[in-house]
Amino acid sequence: MAQTTHTQSITFGNNNANCSTTIGSYNTTTTTIYNSDEDAKIMGWLSPLESDNRHHSLRTDRFGGVGDWLSGTSEFREWNGGEGGADQAVLFCSGDPGVGKTHLRLVARFS
Amino acid sequence: MIDRLCDQAREGGLAVAWLYCDYNFQQEQTVTNIIGAILKRLVRGEIPEGIREAFQEGRRPPLEDLMRMLKTAVATLPRVFICIDALDECLPKDLPKLLELLRDIVQVSPRSRIFLTGRSHVVGTIQKQFIKTVVIPITPKEDDIKDYVAMRLDRDDMPEAMDDSLRAEIMGSILEKMSNVCVSASPLSKMYTH
Repeated sequence: MAQTTHTQSITFGNNNANCSTTIGSYNTTTTTIYNSDEDAKIMGWLSPLESDNRHHSLRTDRFGGVGDWLSGTSEFREWNGGEGGADQAVLFCSGDPGVGKTHLRLVARFS
Repeated sequence: MIDRLCDQAREGGLAVAWLYCDYNFQQEQTVTNIIGAILKRLVRGEIPEGIREAFQEGRRPPLEDLMRMLKTAVATLPRVFICIDALDECLPKDLPKLLELLRDIVQVSPRSRIFLTGRSHVVGTIQKQFIKTVVIPITPKEDDIKDYVAMRLDRDDMPEAMDDSLRAEIMGSILEKMSNVCVSASPLSKMYTH
């Protein structure tokens, strides 16, 4: 029996060898395909909120290396290292709207 | 940030869920829906049987059920990264509960990490659950502003009206105005287009 294919508009980063400098690239589009009608319905049943649509629009409005410095900070490395356990699980980038928090780019590898 | 995590998630070794909060959608951004959104992002590739069975029973899952499903999923996944942008745009009354639940999730997988952004006034609420929260203030960097302005100028829909001297004038004027103020990307574009 033929299955219906369900797609959502989601794009992932360009996963190429040069990825440390192309995080903001939106050349590669990967489409998420649900296995079945039921899978798509389960997703909607779990929550009506969709993060993909907003992410897609952000990606198409992205530029340059905003936030390259962040991953070089000792605070970031300590947080990412995970040794601080649950107490240190949160990294909070604070700032007024528009300062670029949403657009932060990282060149770090998450450990 | 999200892209970087997604790239690595596809390579294996970590799982990532993200959500952008928005003041305009506060009514939909209930704690239940946020937890559900994190869950669905984490299980979308392979929906656990328990979730499938609960779905077939029909009723919308209450928060407690979603949390149970989420903790089960997190326990089976490698390191999990949860990113929530503009946390301060959630309903203020929901924030303590949401953070409490995030704490519960991290307890299941203590090397998992949560990346949050928002205005500074919510930091105290975050620290009630995560006492060693790492806080990094974000301010626009001059190089970032330069790159952004250059990108917008490159996209100008009237390139024939642009030349190097006008370009330099626009760039200089914007950087001067920006030097002591934190201004958003949208005012930047308005300064140029108007």
